[in-house]
Amino acid sequence: MTPAERPLSPHLQIYKPQLTSVLSITHRGTGLALGVGAIFLVWWLSGAAWSDACFRAAQAFWSSWLGKLFLLGWTFSLFFHLLNGVRHLLWDVGFGFDLPTTYRTGWTVVAFSVLLTVLAFGSGLYAGGSP
Amino acid sequence: MTGRAAVRHWRAQRVSALALIFLVLWLVVSLLMHLGADRAQVQAWLGAPVSAVLAAALVVVAFFHLGLGIRVVLEDYVHTPWRLAAGLVANRVTCWALALIALAAVATLAFGW
Repeated sequence: MTPAERPLSPHLQIYKPQLTSVLSITHRGTGLALGVGAIFLVWWLSGAAWSDACFRAAQAFWSSWLGKLFLLGWTFSLFFHLLNGVRHLLWDVGFGFDLPTTYRTGWTVVAFSVLLTVLAFGSGLYAGGSP
Repeated sequence: MTGRAAVRHWRAQRVSALALIFLVLWLVVSLLMHLGADRAQVQAWLGAPVSAVLAAALVVVAFFHLGLGIRVVLEDYVHTPWRLAAGLVANRVTCWALALIALAAVATLAFGW
């Protein structure tokens, strides 16, 4: 069956970006990024369990410049997805779904995601190690 | 996905999210406490009963949650029926495979296999 050529409603790029829509797509993006991060964690975990070479390769990756950049991205993704996920759970039980509160909790999520990322990543760099 | 299946999916996504709040915070704190750990130290950490149980729970719940999330993304953006079907199967197989590998690794560390 070929889909009929129906008229389409105005699509995403027509609208001006708003905090609500931007955070919504960021929730998706960070979720997908964490999925990729999970693959790397399984690689590292497998190394710890079965293979010295595999474990050392994973450690070398985290210690590298590129690895640290990925870690920074995953740290932010994790805190954002976690905090915005709690925001979603609160909506689900009926809290904060009016527009002013939605904006307030949205900016709170952004601020605390950045703060926690700086704290966690900074303390990691300060300790000078690689997880 | 419609009807009862959709309701189940919706609820499962949220229940797993609740569990992940605690499991993920445990992971972050633990990783920060094991910065620069060598393989023996990681083995000692994940070989301990409490951390092995928490790690196993995290693996199961996280890949379950990830599979549910990717399914929604696929259903939203893939509109060719056969591509969607293939994507859903690939998603399921990949999540199961990664979870099983990770569980086997945790079991290896916990039981010293």
